Amino acid sequence: MRNLPVPALHILLAVSDRERHGYAIMQDVAARTGGKVRLGPGTLYGSIKRLLEDGLIDEHDGRDPDADVRRRYYKITRQGRKVAMEETARLSALLRHARAVGLVPKTV
Amino acid sequence: MRVRDHIARALIRLYPAEFRDEYAGEMEQLVRDQSRAGGAWRWAELIVDIARTAPREHGFVLMNDLRYAVRMIARSPLFSAAVILTVALTIGATTAIFSVVNAVLLQPLPFDHPKRLVQVNEKNDKLKLPNFSASVLNYLSWKEQTRTLDLAAFGFASYSLSGEGEPEQFTGSPIAAALLQVLGLSPLQGRGFAAADERRGAERIAMISAGLWKRRFGADRSVVGRSITLNGESHTIVGIAPPALAVLTGGDIWTPMTIDPGREHRLNHVINVVGRLRPGASVAQAQKEMDAIAVRVGEQYPEVRDWGINILTFYRAFVNPQLETALVVLLCAVVCVLLIACANIANLLLARSAVRQKEIAVRTALGASRSRLLRQLLVESVTLSAVGGVAGTACALWSVPLINRVLPPNLLPIPEIAVDRIVLLFAATTTVATGVLFGMAPSWRAARVDLNAALKQSGRSAASGPRGRVRNLLAAAELGLATVLLIAAALLIQTLYRLQRTALGFEPKGVLTFQLAPATTKYPLDSKAPQFYRALIDSLQAIPGVRGAAVSSGIPFGAGNYTSTPMTPIGPSALPPETGVSIDWRIVMPGYFRTMGVPLLRGRDFTDADRSQDAPVVIVSAAMAERFWGKADPIGRSLHQVADQLPFTVIGVVGDVKNTALNREAPAVYLSAARRVWPLMDVVVRSDRDATAILPGVRDAVRRLDPQLPLATVRTMEDWLANSAAQPRLNAQLLGIFAAVALLIAAIGIYGVLAYSVTQRTREIGLRMALGAPRRRVLRLVIGEGMTVGGCGIAAGLVAAAALGRTLSSLVFGVQVHDLATYSGVAAVLAIVALAACALPARRAALVDPIVALREE
Repeated sequence: MRNLPVPALHILLAVSDRERHGYAIMQDVAARTGGKVRLGPGTLYGSIKRLLEDGLIDEHDGRDPDADVRRRYYKITRQGRKVAMEETARLSALLRHARAVGLVPKTV
Repeated sequence: MRVRDHIARALIRLYPAEFRDEYAGEMEQLVRDQSRAGGAWRWAELIVDIARTAPREHGFVLMNDLRYAVRMIARSPLFSAAVILTVALTIGATTAIFSVVNAVLLQPLPFDHPKRLVQVNEKNDKLKLPNFSASVLNYLSWKEQTRTLDLAAFGFASYSLSGEGEPEQFTGSPIAAALLQVLGLSPLQGRGFAAADERRGAERIAMISAGLWKRRFGADRSVVGRSITLNGESHTIVGIAPPALAVLTGGDIWTPMTIDPGREHRLNHVINVVGRLRPGASVAQAQKEMDAIAVRVGEQYPEVRDWGINILTFYRAFVNPQLETALVVLLCAVVCVLLIACANIANLLLARSAVRQKEIAVRTALGASRSRLLRQLLVESVTLSAVGGVAGTACALWSVPLINRVLPPNLLPIPEIAVDRIVLLFAATTTVATGVLFGMAPSWRAARVDLNAALKQSGRSAASGPRGRVRNLLAAAELGLATVLLIAAALLIQTLYRLQRTALGFEPKGVLTFQLAPATTKYPLDSKAPQFYRALIDSLQAIPGVRGAAVSSGIPFGAGNYTSTPMTPIGPSALPPETGVSIDWRIVMPGYFRTMGVPLLRGRDFTDADRSQDAPVVIVSAAMAERFWGKADPIGRSLHQVADQLPFTVIGVVGDVKNTALNREAPAVYLSAARRVWPLMDVVVRSDRDATAILPGVRDAVRRLDPQLPLATVRTMEDWLANSAAQPRLNAQLLGIFAAVALLIAAIGIYGVLAYSVTQRTREIGLRMALGAPRRRVLRLVIGEGMTVGGCGIAAGLVAAAALGRTLSSLVFGVQVHDLATYSGVAAVLAIVALAACALPARRAALVDPIVALREE
């Protein structure tokens, strides 16, 4: 399987614990990265479209009682979880190799 | 709503419809949420995001469309193959023709800044000579006086190369040392010529062509500095000439032009002068200045007062208007075929879109928008044309080297046709345009399908109504274009026929020709050379099978010297006094007319005794005699060149010969070669055997006289004739092929329209027959419908051809461009073809069984 693009992985992380709508995903990603990653609307919905097509997330009308009925909510699927884990495993292996050769800054 | 939201909405419109349908609302909401939360998007960020992702989304949609298109194409392989093959053939032909047009008309000539280069010709309005070569002394005067041009000149010469290996004969030029610099060229190897090399007594040097360098010297670099023998004298090779030099001068060998003003004559036009405009000078300025210079020179030297100067741009000098017209006509013709093919494919697709109505209706019902469908169908047709276009371009790439090989040399003013980026761009653009063109009407129709009718599957309304009109219009357009093509082809084929049937004035069959250039050091032109030729003629005539042999300075259509000079009669004449007429002149040895089969009408042929320098004699052609002396007997009368006063006495009259071109009548004068010959002479040998059979004997005869002397340009007279008609033949052949293809496609087109219409109207026809219509009337109905379409197309084509006819006038010979017989003949042929195309569907209609037809629905 092809590598997961970075925005897609961010989105998977944002919808891994609970379902969120687009704006909430964007905010979550921004908050977690300290404002470093700001997903634009095109990137966000382009990635969502691909994730839906690949079956890594699915779409709901908002099951929470306080959900806004006009919005579409997204949640990770079992397949999405598997792909995200594979991707993070790949990344941490990469990190391990980098650390072994001293190519990682001390702060990480 | 805030301004920002409006802008965001406008930006989001850049995404494809499918994406917007899903996410436009969400994305707008996102922008609003963000600004409400205070963290408004920085515009740059938003625009970068959209600019990066919108094209990607379009790409995804296109990929989907493409996948779908490929599936649809694969589903009807026969239909697709037919379309692809048609596109491949027409795009291939169009691209091949365009590559020639590009190479000749669009590509710059292979010199540095060719637009600044001009040819400086002499002209004489009184003698109707608009472009004549220059005299050496005039050239020197111009060079001295001009401020707008850097001038250089070249002459013509033949060189026999001997020494290492077989002796060989070459043409070439003495050139001014400045020529390479004026053209902006530099030698491939070694050096060009310097001013010092032009001086008399300078070391003899030469440049050779890259072709000669490779062929004879194996591209050995050490050849520069080596000594070779040219015309019996040792020359040092100083450089390998740039290929572009031969584009201007022709030939393979160049030597420095050494000018001895004392031996030159101001009226002796023997060189070509070229010039580069100095910075800031325009062609018009240069022409004005040269006009003034010509007047000044004329005042100083009265003998040249009638001679002016005509400046010709290099483009005009190289590309004659006739070639330009021929190429443009061929390109238009092949584009015409392409358009006919487009119309035909459009018709096929229209017919098929009726079949696909249901599929399309279902997709529409499922929510596909019209624009979505339109795009999908266009992607399909462009995919079809792209496959065909790639195949076609491959064909063109393959055919261009072939064109280079089969085109007769000297037909085009360029060494070789190449496929470059412009040609590839043309092929790509044509391919896409073709796909859009043939896909547009069908896609537009299909995308506007009537949902209700289509889903109910009553295809009854399809044949008549707007769709039927479009189909009829397309078929008529095909026939119209085919008419235009067929008329053009018919005119050019007649031209070729007329050219081949023109009275040549001599008998070309069984004549072998070659050229000789005995070294002038060994054979002085006025003593040993004529003796050599006399001995040669004697030994040639001794060869078994040879009926005659003779020598001329230039045989008709050959590679010899094409000389013409203004002449004027002495004493009473049919011309107004003091009039000069430009006359073709050749020097010939006794027996030339008999050998060539030119009839001697009056007086006598030359003999070896005709070598008087003070009282020279001439033989004139019948047209020349009539021009000068009308019906009076020309024998014993005399004439002189405008350039000098030496009188020539007429001793004979011979039949008119097409000496230069098939479509040109030119009065001619023949001078005796018994006293003096030219450095390069044409030898003709007539035999009653095959030319190749006597060639070994001919070679032997020459070798026995001089083993060092090479035979050059060995051809049969019929080769020369074929060569002279090469361009008209090519015009006629290509247009003939295009017209035949056009006719075939158009016939298929009209057949397709009718066949489809009959299928669609089976029920109606059945009803008519059930109501008592006889078969004859059904037959007439269908044929009538087809012939109405056909007649309209043919009529429109005739009108268009009449309007465009003038364009062809420079290519047509011996037939009027608006020749009534051609027009009516073509119309009749097309009507017959259209009728034949109608016959099959009509027969099918007449055989409709009313019961079966009515039960069907």
